[in-house]
Amino acid sequence: MKQVSFKQLKYHWRACLFVLPSLCLLLTFAYFPAWGAIYYSFFNWDGGYVKEFIGFDNYKRAFSDPYVHHGYYIVSILVVANLFKMIPSIATAVAIHRLRSAKFGYFYRVLFVIPLIIPAIVMILIWKYFFDPNFGILNAFLDFTHLMDLLVYIDGIFHWGVFLESTSPAWLSRQELIIPALIIWGFPWVGTIGVLIYLSGLSSISDDIYDAAKIDGTGPIRTFWNIELPLILTQVRINLILMIIGTIKEYGLTLVLLGNTGGPGGAGLVPGLYMFRKAFYDKETEMGYACALGIIMFLIILMLTYVNQKYVRVDK
Amino acid sequence: MKNKPPLNQFLLKHGWEAPKHAFIWLVLLFAFFPLYMILNISLKTNEQFFNNPLTPTAPYEWGNWLFGWEQISGSVYVTIFIAFTATFLNLCVSICAAYFFGRYKVPGSNFLFLLFLMQMFIPGVVNLIPLFSLLKDLHLLGTFSGVIIPATASAQVVAIYLLRNFIEDIPQDLFDSAQIDGAGDLRQILHIVIPMCTPIIMTAAILDFINHWNDFVLPLVVLGKEELYPIGVKLYQLDGVH
Repeated sequence: MKQVSFKQLKYHWRACLFVLPSLCLLLTFAYFPAWGAIYYSFFNWDGGYVKEFIGFDNYKRAFSDPYVHHGYYIVSILVVANLFKMIPSIATAVAIHRLRSAKFGYFYRVLFVIPLIIPAIVMILIWKYFFDPNFGILNAFLDFTHLMDLLVYIDGIFHWGVFLESTSPAWLSRQELIIPALIIWGFPWVGTIGVLIYLSGLSSISDDIYDAAKIDGTGPIRTFWNIELPLILTQVRINLILMIIGTIKEYGLTLVLLGNTGGPGGAGLVPGLYMFRKAFYDKETEMGYACALGIIMFLIILMLTYVNQKYVRVDK
Repeated sequence: MKNKPPLNQFLLKHGWEAPKHAFIWLVLLFAFFPLYMILNISLKTNEQFFNNPLTPTAPYEWGNWLFGWEQISGSVYVTIFIAFTATFLNLCVSICAAYFFGRYKVPGSNFLFLLFLMQMFIPGVVNLIPLFSLLKDLHLLGTFSGVIIPATASAQVVAIYLLRNFIEDIPQDLFDSAQIDGAGDLRQILHIVIPMCTPIIMTAAILDFINHWNDFVLPLVVLGKEELYPIGVKLYQLDGVH
């Protein structure tokens, strides 16, 4: 890399031209709209030409809006669930990494890339069919393994009134079942890209460490807790940050699975979807309010990322 | 001299291998299940599907594929066009920008790079509404450019981030000797950067292409007309019809 001081800039100004197209695109289509979102959030605006300055009223309204409270309640459940859903990816990556034969390792790596060709939307639609009460695979699977009887039994104890004898639960149209459905979605929760990221981290662990562990006589489980997990914490943290941001922003999934109302009684109305609805679907669009909701979401993401950077430490 | 290992030594050496393979296959089984179901259901009539959704049943309805192709062929072409153009545009701008960041360190270039990275933290939903009105003002609503240009603007960040590291690793001598031969920046990109970084450029291109292929919300909002819908939006809409 070449250090160019301020005085030398007149010889190298041509190089600076190369960043201009990117920078223009970024400023026009990412930062200008972001700035616009902040600006519009102070207005009562329906997307037309008339708008009225109302100060912080949009924000005040958002803080007392029951839909917003419910949305962030769902999202916090989903974040915790997704935290556990990271485990299968790590386990798979460790299993592939520990294989003795490099040939098989490569073979499995390739196999894991194949499901990536299914477009995301098709994946969601096929899961929508899995959740179908009458023809869906999920109910058939539960019946076949008699897990349904177990659920009916547990229901009998807690009186949920959801799983009843000889009826098929409608996962996407029962208010109580929507959150479990959103959690079950994507089983076995092995994200291909996640596995590849973990594998790249695992493969950089030097053999010396494994040899030292072997001499000390550590078993496979201790090896994981004391060697592999600490050494791939960087990758885990990357995936953790991406997961949290992704979960909070997510609304494509709920939009396709549950429609733009967020399911019966708005049980699956995540904040992103609520905002999307306020901006584009509701009869009286409230763009200004939707912008305020967006800014709140941005602040929450920024805060969580900061906390993540600060407190999820990686000591090597 | 090679001796055949006795059984207990074999188990000691390979005993832990079998559970690992079994676990991986189990996960793979579930991961491939949706793909299997897509292929399976696509070859059934409605009646066959209601009677036996799980296993393949003869006679196979290849006609479904023909019908499906008739339904979506238009949007497949649209998607291919959008994804290719956006990926190409993205590579053009991001190779140039990554070249700048990778080769020169001018005052303020760290700040600029941070500006690029910060984009990843802005949630797309926040941007969507003002972007919508911006595109309206630019008369880009309902046009392919209205999808391609904003998509490039947000996708370039990852590509620049990936490419920058690789361009930094190219030996400085190569650039110096090219400069002595009188090659300008553009020539250095064409003859040094692109040949040296082909693998990572291809990786970035594939990642980018998949992203555009899956893009759903932006085309739904920007392209108001049905005949312009790319594959993702089209499939969502067809799900309601059939």
